[in-house]
Order: sequence, then structure tokens, then C-alpha cells
Amino acid sequence: MTSYMENDTDTHRNGAADSNHHTAKKPKLTTLLPISEPLIHEEFSHHQPGVARLNNGSFGSCPRSVLAAQSAWQLRFLQQPDDFFFNKLSPAILRSRAAVRDIINAEHVDHVSLVDNATTAAAIVLQQLSRRAALGHFNRNDTVVMFHCAYQAVKKSIEAYVTPIGGSVVEVQLPFPVRSDDEIVSEFKKGLEKGKLNGGKVRLAIIDHITSMPSVVIPVRQLIKICREQGVEQIFVDGAHAIGSLRIDVKEIGADFYVSNLYKWFFSPPSVAVLYCKDNSKNVHHPVVSQEYGKGLPVESAWVGMRDYSSHLVVPSILEFVNRFEGGIEGIMKRNHDGVVKMGTMLKESWGTILGSPPEMCASMIMVGLPSRLCVMGDDDALRLRSYLRVYHAIEVPVYYQALRNDDRDPRDKDGFITGYVRISHQVYNTIDDYHRLKTAVNQLLEDGKVCSGLPKE
Amino acid sequence: MARKKNISLDNKESCIRRQGTVNNCEDAYKNYHRSKFCKLRAMASTVDHHPHRKITAAENPKPITPAEIESEFSHHDASVARINNGSFGCCPASILAAQHRLYLAFLRQPDHFYFTHLFPAILRSRTLIQHLVNARHLDQISLVDNATTAAAIVLQHAAWSFREGRFRKGDAVLMLHYAYGAVKKSTEAYVARAGGNVVEVRLPFPVTSNDEIVSEFRKALERGKSHGRRVRLAVIDHVTSMPCVVIPVRELIQICREEGVDEVFVDAAHSIGCTDVDMEEIGADFYTSNLHKWFFCPPSIAFLYARKGSASELHHPVVSHEYGNGLPMESAWTGTRDYSAHLVVPEAVEFVNRFEGGIDGIKKRNHEGVVAMGEMLVKAWGTHLGCPPHMCCSMVMVGMPPCLGIGSDSDALKLRTHLRDAFGVEVPIYYRPPQEGEVGVVTGYARISYQVYNKVDDYYKFRDAVNQLVQNGFTCDLLD
Repeated sequence: MTSYMENDTDTHRNGAADSNHHTAKKPKLTTLLPISEPLIHEEFSHHQPGVARLNNGSFGSCPRSVLAAQSAWQLRFLQQPDDFFFNKLSPAILRSRAAVRDIINAEHVDHVSLVDNATTAAAIVLQQLSRRAALGHFNRNDTVVMFHCAYQAVKKSIEAYVTPIGGSVVEVQLPFPVRSDDEIVSEFKKGLEKGKLNGGKVRLAIIDHITSMPSVVIPVRQLIKICREQGVEQIFVDGAHAIGSLRIDVKEIGADFYVSNLYKWFFSPPSVAVLYCKDNSKNVHHPVVSQEYGKGLPVESAWVGMRDYSSHLVVPSILEFVNRFEGGIEGIMKRNHDGVVKMGTMLKESWGTILGSPPEMCASMIMVGLPSRLCVMGDDDALRLRSYLRVYHAIEVPVYYQALRNDDRDPRDKDGFITGYVRISHQVYNTIDDYHRLKTAVNQLLEDGKVCSGLPKE
Repeated sequence: MARKKNISLDNKESCIRRQGTVNNCEDAYKNYHRSKFCKLRAMASTVDHHPHRKITAAENPKPITPAEIESEFSHHDASVARINNGSFGCCPASILAAQHRLYLAFLRQPDHFYFTHLFPAILRSRTLIQHLVNARHLDQISLVDNATTAAAIVLQHAAWSFREGRFRKGDAVLMLHYAYGAVKKSTEAYVARAGGNVVEVRLPFPVTSNDEIVSEFRKALERGKSHGRRVRLAVIDHVTSMPCVVIPVRELIQICREEGVDEVFVDAAHSIGCTDVDMEEIGADFYTSNLHKWFFCPPSIAFLYARKGSASELHHPVVSHEYGNGLPMESAWTGTRDYSAHLVVPEAVEFVNRFEGGIDGIKKRNHEGVVAMGEMLVKAWGTHLGCPPHMCCSMVMVGMPPCLGIGSDSDALKLRTHLRDAFGVEVPIYYRPPQEGEVGVVTGYARISYQVYNKVDDYYKFRDAVNQLVQNGFTCDLLD
């Protein structure tokens, strides 16, 4: 059972009592009505009209009121940058960090740093691993364990920082389509075993909270428990999609490092992410070294040379925005989840296909099988279809190719094997029409007898 | 409806083959558009490929007027005498507007922007910079956020060299004592930690000639090479930050080559728009400069020049999909972010060309202006400049009256704050400790800047503020 389903009516975590920190306020229900549909539409009126925007997962979305807050910060800087730098920047960063601390339930704001994105966080975590290895404590057979579908940038980061020091990587296959948490746990255990072969120690396990492609919610708490039992030294949870998608309690999750992008599902402008470090000692560093070096990652990250930090400063404004919705961010998460499951089900029923995971293993995104007759035979086909949908139907949705396993578990529809999936998302600006357009576009292709390889070249 | 694109799929396929197995469709899609990017790049490197105006200042039918300049900088706080362009630079309203349009284009349909607009726009910026700085090849130019990031890239490279044994433990990395704080820390974090020996060049200040600098540099090189060691990397500022002096980099680099220094990294954070910036003439292995200081770009954008281009083996520390495809590609995508500041170099070039003489005209007038204002101030206060006019660019160090009692870095900062809060003057102050035997000397220097938006009144305001402080018997220890 994933956490977003838990009953949150009694404890609003954002209001966790700590008088030292800025806490998000619950909406004053006696005086304010929740934000209306027209106002939501207005908040996202800068989105290209006519585009069925079903890919909130890649680049997120930011409402006008938060963009306006960002502009205000930018203007303050431009008006008098020295005054901004000396008097305004640090307190504003601290306010944002404190607000995020509340959201993720970190024990103290000292454990919370703001960085650009999860890609930067991965570099930070892997650089510290590289430094530890350079001190000579690692053995030849030590490993890093990660899912095979881990985000490409994270894999490249491992190539850059782990491979040169002799570390090898064990990839855990994510079963997909997936039917239960147990399937994932089982594969992960196998991966850990492999990681410990020949007396090796698993130095780092990288666990996605919500995988990117294909997108599935991973039972992180369970996997981390297993990691601790199996003597894994460090655990890094890549929760790039997590904040604003499902509830995050870093103390409960228990990872050593946890990162999440605020611009995907938490309405921040591009870009800002939170990196939580369980151990707030001074051994973790930002790779861009400034005068703040050695003062702890939060302070180092708050100044990486002259740049526009405005996206890091608007977290309080984001909280104001989400609290205009009924139930605040929890209400948004629940309605996004319910919406994407409903729309995913509608699509799969219309197409006669399947969902890539059961509803409880998704948050605000879900994988929906494409009809086998479309013949998604590889990554090229998936790209071609994605392009076709964007150019000819103004539908933005990522398409995923999943090779068959050649066993009795391979998913089928009435015409053959299902190898293609769309990853649909649901965010507050989406309407039912967005999904009907996708349904119709795919059905039209079927009616016309089109297959991916026959789609028009751009 | 989105525009239809006319791209051959052959490129895509070959790109996918080149990249090997692609494990998710997003990568394949990005690779596909890289191939289009690669094609454009191949074109750009052989032809002067951009449709914008010439880099050199064309004959302007009508140069920008003072009223237009004022309008372009009307967002500056009018109550402040802004004589610190060196720290945070400035950006005219028209360029900010162009940046905002690009930002909105991304927000409007980010996938489309990412797949269609971003990389060609980065290529345009890089191509213009290549020509601005006379780099021979496009792949020598990468865009990064700032010189601090560039320093991390170069120093990380040095650290790997130490770790992998190409450099021996104890080999030296040379830097100026007045190197920027961040660069010093970066050297400590990357080089010292990896076993390199950091040697500082002590520079005299006030300084009267290039010879003084050259002499100290040679001494430091000797120290670095003592006991059979080698100097692997020399980090040289083109324009030091505090105190601010133009360093004779060409000469120092020549000495480095003569003395067997492996590589030279010039930290020229201030240079573009301030000094001459000619990669072929300067001859450094690595060179970085911020475009948001003196080249009117918004925060923040810098270029990093690497002489060996794709063979330089530099990597961006934030590793993403482009890892291994060369620093220019790696730097063009470091995860989802707002890249709009990297995309308005064409607008910056257009802006400077509205001025008589283009960027060269601006540089010349800034230099003359700051020297004139500096001399006005030292005359009013009975002090002196920190260096001769030929050793400064658009900034100069102006001695503060000794009676102000600037006795420490902390005093300098407090005085700076006081000038901001009580007088509306923004100027950084440098504390210069008295040498042994010196009594009653100038211990504080203000680093004044001159940029196109400055007016004589800004400097009179500063002059009068200091005169008033002197008249009131002010000393820094009163600021506690």
C-alpha cells in the first residue's frame, strides 16, 4: 500500500510543530473557498493552448502566481544586487529550506540542501563515494546496486565517478509490467546477493522512489530495510518525481541521501530540488566549490558563484499556492492519483490493453499499454509515435518500448503482444478532454491500419 | 499546431548506433535531435554561420542615446550610486526582455522547446563567443554558469591527473595570492586533497609596473620547481578581483612555457567586455570569463575555452546524458534548469553594437571614465591610485583617507555597509595591511567601476560621503 493512500486527515505534516521554522498554513476554511476551475486555468494560461499536456513528469509545471513571485525576486536582485547578496539571499534560502524540511519531515534544517536538480544531487552523492574510495577503504569486489531503468543521468554519473575507481555496478531488473511489490522485492534481493559475491560489500544502493521510464512506485521502505539487514553501506533514494506526488517522510524512509525535484510535481519554477542528507557532517560537498566550502552542504549549495537563485527562493509562495486547493498538497496528490488511474483505466479499456502496474503502485503517472497492432517494435518506433502525436495531434506524451520477456507473463491484447506504453500524467491543469484526445488519436491510427514504422517522418 | 520538421531519420539511426544500446526511448529521442545539432555544428565550424549582425561594430546609423541608456537601466535602484559593476555586473532591459521571452517559450511547451530550440540556441551563443574571443575551433568553447564552475571543471581535471598518477604527489599548482576566494577553495578541495602542492605568488600592492608582477611570478615558479618537482598548472587571473589589477597574462604565460609548466588556466572572470580577450594571442590552455559582469548578459553565463578542444578531457562535474560527448555538450545539459541566460548572447552583441565603436568603444570609454573618476577622488582625498592607469581596465583601486582607520577586513566590510546604508553608495572596499615599518599609510582602497550607465554624479556622491565621514571624525571602530 503506498503512502499517499494513507488517511491524512488527522495529521497535516506541513504543520508539524516546530516553532523555529516557517510552517505552511492550512487553508482557512472558514474564510476561503478552494481555488476554482477558471482560476486554475488562469494560473496555467501560459501553457500552449490546444496542447494536451500529458507529460508533467518530464519538465513539470509552474503556475503564474509562483512565476510572478520568482520575477519579484529577480527584480530585487537586479535593482541592487549587492544589497540582495548581503542582506536578502541567505535568509530567503533558509526560509525555503525550512519549508521543505517540514514537507519531507527531516529532523533538522541542517540536513536539507537546495540544489538545481536530481542530476546535481547524484553528482554530489557519487563524488563523495568516489572520495571515500580514493581513501583506499574499498575492495576490488565492492559494488553499487541500482535498477536497470535508473535515470540515464544517474547511470552516467556512476560511469564518471564510480567506474574509474574500479567499482562495478549491479543492475536490478525491474519487472515490467509489474503486478506487486513482491516482484520488485524479489528482484532486488537477487541484486543484493550478486552485489555481495566474492566477499564484496555493497557500498551504495541507488533506489528510485518513482522510476522514470517505465514509471512505477517502488516500495522503498521495504527495500531499505532489506539493505540495512544485508549490510549495504549507503542508500541513495532518487525521488526525482516524489515531492508533490506522494508523501515523503525521510526519517521513516531511512535513506542516507534522498533527493526530489520541486519543479516536477511541486509547482516550482525550473529548477530547484531538495537533497536530504541523513548525516549532516561535513563530508559531502557541492562540486562547484566557492568561498563557502567546508561550511556544510546546505551553505555550500546556497552559493555556487554568481547565478540567478530565484527559483530556490519561492518555496513559501508555492505553499501559498497549494494551500489554495482543497486539502492542500495532499488533496492535490489524491486527486491527481485518482484522476490518472481513472483516465488510464478509460484508455486501456478503450484500447483493449492493460495498465503497466496496479493502481496502488502508481502516484500521478501511470503506464498504459498501447494496442499491439500499432507495432511498437523498438525505441525508434516509440519516438516516432511520440513525435507524431506531438506534431499531428498536439498531444505531448512520452512513449515507452518494453521488450518481451518471452515467457507466459508477456502481456497480450486480442491481436498480439503489448510492447508499447504511454506514460500519462495528471496534474491540476489537466482536463478529461486531454485524455480523450489521446484515446481518439490512437484509435484513429488503428482504424487507418497504421503502424509505428509507417508513421510520417517529420 | 506545432511546426513540421524536415529531418532525415538516417541521422537519428546512425546516432542511436553510435550511442550503442539505448535503454530508454527518451535517450534515443534526444540522440536523434543531437544528430541534427551535430549537423548544424559541423556547418558552423566551417562557415560563419549565424544570421545575426557582424560581431565588429557596424556603422550605426544612430548610436544609442543617453536617454535610451538610462531607460535600459531604469530598473537599477536610482537612489544608489552603483559603482560596483565588477561584482554582479548589469543587464539592460531589452536583453532581460529577450531572456524572459525565451523562458516563457520553455514554460509554454517544454518538450518542444527542449527537442527543437534549446540546442541550436546554445550553438548560436557559442558560435558568437568563438568569434568574439578569437577561438580557432567551436569545440574549444563551452558555456557554463560562471567562472566558479569553470574553475571546478579545470581543477577537477587536475585532481584526476594527480589521482591517476600523471602528476606526481608534491607537484605544484601555482596561483596568485590575490586569486578569487572561490578559486582558492576549489584548489584546496580538488588539488590539495589529491596530493598537489599549492604555491602562491605574492603580489605587491599598490603596484607600479608589470615588472613587479613578473618578478614575483618567476620567484614562485622557482619555489614550485624546487626539489625536482614540476609545476603542473598555473592559475593566473587576467584581472584580479581584490585588489583589482590587470595582470600581464601574455608575458606570464610565455614564461610558463619557457619554464616547463604543463598547463595554464587563466581566470578572466572580468575580462570579456573589460580587457582584450584574444585566445590565440593570449595562448592559455584554459580560459574563462563571465558574460554577466561586463558583457551585459543576465545572470548567469560564462564561457570556458579549452585549447585542445574535444581532446582536453574536461568534464562538467554535474554529469548527465551527454557525459563523454565533450565538454560543450556536457555543459549544454546539466539536468532540467532554466538555460535562458545562456541563450541571449546574440542580443548582447546587438546591444553593444548600438554603441559607438561597439564593445571596443565601450571598453575605451569605461577605462577613460574610471581613470578620470579615480584621479578626481584621489585628488579630493589626498591619496593615490593602487596601480597606474595602464594596469587597470574599467575598475581602479582608489586609496581611502587613512584617518578613517580601516584596520582589518572586517572594518572594510563594515565601512562598505555603512556607505550603502547611510549614503546610498555601493562600492567594495579592500583592506591592505600595512607592511613592516609602514606608518600612517593608506590601508583601505575602494574598487570603483565605470560602466555605460554611470554618471559623474555617482562618483561625486562617493567623494562627498567620504569627505563627510572625514569631517565628522569618523573611524571604523565606531561601527561596532
